[in-house]
Amino acid sequence: MVCRVASTIDAVLLSHPDTLHLGALPYAMKQLGLSAPVYATEPVFRLGLLTMYDHYLSRKQVSEFDLFTLDDIDSTFQNVTRLTYSQNHHFSGKGEGIVISPHVAGHLLGGTIWKISKDGEDVIYAVDFNHRKEKHLNGTVLESFVRPAVLITDAYNALNNQLPTKQRERGFIDAIKKTVEAGGNVLIPVDTAGRVLELVLILEESPLNCPIYFLTYVASSTIDYVKSFLEWMSDNIAKSFEHTRDNAFLLKHVSLLINKSDLDNAPAGPKVVLASMASLEGGFAHDIFVEWATDTKNLILFTERGQFATLARMLQADPPPKAVKVTMSKRIPLVGEELLAYEEEQNRIKKEEAMKASIIKEEELKVVHASDNVGDPMVIDASNTQTSQEAAVSHGGRYRDVLIDGFVPPPNCAAPMFPFYENASEWDDFGEVINPDDYVIKDDDMDQGALPFVSNMDGKLDEGPASLILDMKPSKVVSTELTVQVKCSLIYMDFEGRADSRAIKSILAHVAPLKLVLVRGSAEATEHLKQHCLKNVCPQVYAPQIEETIDVTSDLCAYKVQLSEKLMSNVLFKKLGDHEIAWIDAEVGETENGMLSLLPLSTSAPPHKSVLVGDLKLADFKQFLSSKGVQVEFAGGALRCGEYVTLRKAGDASQKGGLSGTQQIVLEGPLCEDYYKIRDYLYSQFYLL
Amino acid sequence: MASIGQAPSLKRRDPPAGREGDQLIITPLGAGNEVGRSCVYMSFKGKTVLFDCGIHPAYSGMAALPYFDEIDPSTIDVLLITHFHLDHAASLPYFLEKTTFKGRVFMTHATKAIYKLLLSDYVKVSKVSVEDMLYDEQDIFRSMDKIEVIDFHQTVEVNGIRFWCYTAGHVLGAAMFMVDIAGVRVLYTGDYSREEDRHLRAAEIPQFSPDICIIESTYGVQLHQPRHIREKRFTDVIHSTISQGGRVLIPAYALGRAQELLLILDEFWSNHPELHNIPIYYASPLAKKCMAVYQTYINSMNERIRSQFATANPFDFKHISPLKSIENFNDVGPSVVMASPGGLQSGLSRQLFDMWCSDKKNACVIPGYVVEGTLAKTIINEPKEVTLMNGLTAPLNMQVHYISFSAHADFAQTSAFLDEVMPPNIVLVHGQENEMGRLKQKLVTQFADRNTKILTPKNCQSVEMYFNSEKMAKTIGRLAEKTPEVGETVSGLLVKKGFTYQIMAPEDLHVFSQLSTANINQRITIPYTGAFGVISHRLKQIYESVESSVDEESSIPMLRVHDRVTVKHESDKHISVHWTSDPISDMVSDSVVALVLNISREIPKFVVETEAVKTEEESARVEKIIHALLVSLFGDVKFGEDGKLVINVDGNVAHLDKQSGDVESENEGLKERVRTAFRRIRSAVKPIPLSAS
Repeated sequence: MVCRVASTIDAVLLSHPDTLHLGALPYAMKQLGLSAPVYATEPVFRLGLLTMYDHYLSRKQVSEFDLFTLDDIDSTFQNVTRLTYSQNHHFSGKGEGIVISPHVAGHLLGGTIWKISKDGEDVIYAVDFNHRKEKHLNGTVLESFVRPAVLITDAYNALNNQLPTKQRERGFIDAIKKTVEAGGNVLIPVDTAGRVLELVLILEESPLNCPIYFLTYVASSTIDYVKSFLEWMSDNIAKSFEHTRDNAFLLKHVSLLINKSDLDNAPAGPKVVLASMASLEGGFAHDIFVEWATDTKNLILFTERGQFATLARMLQADPPPKAVKVTMSKRIPLVGEELLAYEEEQNRIKKEEAMKASIIKEEELKVVHASDNVGDPMVIDASNTQTSQEAAVSHGGRYRDVLIDGFVPPPNCAAPMFPFYENASEWDDFGEVINPDDYVIKDDDMDQGALPFVSNMDGKLDEGPASLILDMKPSKVVSTELTVQVKCSLIYMDFEGRADSRAIKSILAHVAPLKLVLVRGSAEATEHLKQHCLKNVCPQVYAPQIEETIDVTSDLCAYKVQLSEKLMSNVLFKKLGDHEIAWIDAEVGETENGMLSLLPLSTSAPPHKSVLVGDLKLADFKQFLSSKGVQVEFAGGALRCGEYVTLRKAGDASQKGGLSGTQQIVLEGPLCEDYYKIRDYLYSQFYLL
Repeated sequence: MASIGQAPSLKRRDPPAGREGDQLIITPLGAGNEVGRSCVYMSFKGKTVLFDCGIHPAYSGMAALPYFDEIDPSTIDVLLITHFHLDHAASLPYFLEKTTFKGRVFMTHATKAIYKLLLSDYVKVSKVSVEDMLYDEQDIFRSMDKIEVIDFHQTVEVNGIRFWCYTAGHVLGAAMFMVDIAGVRVLYTGDYSREEDRHLRAAEIPQFSPDICIIESTYGVQLHQPRHIREKRFTDVIHSTISQGGRVLIPAYALGRAQELLLILDEFWSNHPELHNIPIYYASPLAKKCMAVYQTYINSMNERIRSQFATANPFDFKHISPLKSIENFNDVGPSVVMASPGGLQSGLSRQLFDMWCSDKKNACVIPGYVVEGTLAKTIINEPKEVTLMNGLTAPLNMQVHYISFSAHADFAQTSAFLDEVMPPNIVLVHGQENEMGRLKQKLVTQFADRNTKILTPKNCQSVEMYFNSEKMAKTIGRLAEKTPEVGETVSGLLVKKGFTYQIMAPEDLHVFSQLSTANINQRITIPYTGAFGVISHRLKQIYESVESSVDEESSIPMLRVHDRVTVKHESDKHISVHWTSDPISDMVSDSVVALVLNISREIPKFVVETEAVKTEEESARVEKIIHALLVSLFGDVKFGEDGKLVINVDGNVAHLDKQSGDVESENEGLKERVRTAFRRIRSAVKPIPLSAS
């Protein structure tokens, strides 16, 4: 699907550093010809890179994974443009006038809600946000955006509700404690560098006194980098660092491992292990699961819902399966005959390639020669057919061909001769055209900066099996199918860090977009949220299927005018919160440079329907009235003011965004003095324009 | 966003003819024609920003503060601190805790983390009498809660003031602030350097050109040597001194440039194994504490140091040991000591200086800018004698070298920076008067063809500029469905938020803003026991448009007056009046209420059936009244033929047709008078006709 649009994409915005949000990027860049600039926050960039390394290594361990290589990952991430939260990035060129800015999403470190704005209209892309403040993250700022033109969000969690954070954390620690005290081990399958950070902090602060390990291929570099991302974390972490310079991720209780053998060598006894991948489809978590699942004392503690068709999903089924079939795969170096066969195969491939290359070269040569038969046979001008650079590359090859194949006279030559290629140089009025880059002396300092990826790959990766992959020593994957009796306990606790159903609905109602697009989420959840939003948020809710294109083009009209001094000096603004508001009647004029401008009317202003501006909150009004000495109470949704007068809101008040934007307030009462008094108080809550 | 494309008008109105709101005022409260106590006040369109809040290192107590009494601290909206150096941040606790300031303060994460350490140290180290103490540690601690953090490039909006910051390259966390008020942008560079060094990035060139650039001029027209030459001189001096058995004193600010020097020294020692037995001391208790900060905010440093960080922490020095105080210092042979303060005013660096200054084997390397009035400034001129702390004089025999690593821009950087940023107005601050004057001269020549204004205000001297920012509004929504032609009218709501204006139809208000409109539906019940027809009749007498109908739901009779107010006959006992609030409807409803009350008072008066008879009686009465009134006006009024009235005034005769109001007369004046009089009389005695408007 991406391949069809890959070439038309102008920019890629990454929102979270996990495989769900950026896992296919190297593939799209490498295989599908995606070449647009990529934007992400620093943590998304860095942790995303580590996640991809870990993912690749885990996969490569158990399968002939060939969608992309580590080099592809590096090259993909090399040209990511990094932005900070609330940074307005102005596009230039094709996207002139468009501004993108990342904002706090919660959920994962560096997680981003993207705001794309042009001419004051906003499109918000907010998937996987979390409104709750957590140990290491602040809650999302999604609620601070009001009335965007389009909001794209997900319905993934639309049917789930969560327990309060404290309760969940207690349950989490209790479950682990129970297992450990009974002498069992706890395996927590986690992602590489996302939600695991929250779990690490919870465990770090917990009173557990058994060893806790964090095991991924990149665990130590993950924590190293995370330590330098304090400014992206919660206020509490920032504050504690400012005051005491205690970095929350300077871990004392959690040990970082990058190698399963380190875990095997760890002292016996109950332990807690956080290991990737969360799906249990590969990685260390998979291996540990196979080892531990058969012991009833052990506990596998899931902290996120398994993705469809993964082992984790199977185990989370209710009731849990008694036994699961797993594939144990191992990468082993080739030996003996296999190695010989492999080498032979490699040699054959190499030879074939060489053959092919020489054939191609020969053909090229022929083509070149053939194309020359119109010109002077004495001068073969290579630059006619090829750019000079290509020519320079192919020259070497051709000379070699000449030496290898012997003397090949051009077919149309009058006399046999060595081919001669002139290296044509271009001239202009100032002499030979040179490429300034050839003369640039590179600064030493800069060179050092150029290899960050290589240098950090060296030290930190697992020496064992990983090196097999890195060295490209001939190796193969050996798989055995086996059935694992699942006797250990299985628990699922929601530490996904996503806003739950209630929060999603209240946030959506507050943001009140003009148009809402729902992506991701089960059909059921999407439909549920769609119906809810149609009723309570906005009339235009879309839930496109994959590959379905929807048109959310704004039907907004706008033009710009200049406000003349004369007009503005007569305008009396009324202040209403952040806004100032006034009614204007103006005549359209034109400035010297052709702009429309508004001038005061030359005739008297036409009458207009008066407008009451203001947002009446009954509760606030009640307080106001009682401060004025009016007896006031709520009765059946209406406000009883004094003895007889009632005030209520008609229609659905929560439906801000939708069908009618005007509040309907009903004031009822018998003819009495109170009535007019209360009406005056009510009027004082509004601005009449 | 508002500022792209439609750049605000930069046209300066030279005479101060503009209104108050167009005037932009910049006043240095410190650092005007001096170095130290940076504090620049700016005000535009009722918004006020204060840049930096430093102290003057050469003075103590209140004298070191910027001139805060020039301003009213309570009016300041935003205070922006560029970096943690004392001359830029050290009066902040005083300003936050001891003045009426109630705005918001921003600085970068790294600045805030080091600010606390540095100021606590400053409070402890500065040995002044209690009454001269500007603030204590508690004040610093409290100020921490009020300081908000801003990340590089993050845009923050406070009260209509938008601002963001760029890397300044001076010290870790140093920022240049760009402030945008109503489309007028002001760049305050603070201390900046365009040269990348061992750990910091170079200052960025802002994406947008500011209208005013407030720029430091510390080094005036001086030029720095290239970095590698300075580094070589530095290491050569140290190498030769210690190989002759001398000691090297490097007085430096505790934080900031010291880290750069330590990186140089550590690398030099690593490359010269023969030096490994010579100790390097870094005498600052802050050193260790701030290391955590340097290690954490690695992301705001340059690529070079970040790539080193991937393998080992470059701030984990191998050859440098900390030195707590002079008591712990075993002065037995050659050594290198870096000690604070940088100006040799007091403290450890001064103690060591006093010990070593008379031995010509020793050397003192001054690695950065030194402030006027400090001992370090004095010894640069290599006087024969110096005064020690105990008041005695001693010969100054030690070598004094001045090799600047201070990461301020030199002339080449300043001129290139301004050339790229192209501000139409330049305000020079943070420089000695002479240096600043020379810089101004050079810049004036450089930008001669650009009509650039270059200003060098002294402390408390305001510079005023006028920005005639055109107010642009965007018409959106229903109102903008068609772009109007010249001469057409536009009516709608003008909504102002910050400095952006939008014009929209009232119906669209809730779509484009958080504001909402409301309708107040009123329903008032009035006791009324009379016939509903009476009300209808009375209303028809007053209002032209009164429609009778029957309510669809409850099938009770109702009346609609001018499509605004509805009167319903709820029951035999009472009626109800319904309407939607607006000034006219309220008035109509009031009259309806009054009318109903009056009817109830004098019922039963009229019956619908008698209407026809009554009309005849009425008309006869009206005739009479008209006649009587005309008589009182004109005197001689007779009934003429065909029902016409003949009016005779001083021999001029006019014939008045009572039905049509036509007047025939030879005298134009009389004709007009009679016609007007009759029209007025008729409108007074007859009910309002249906067709009249």
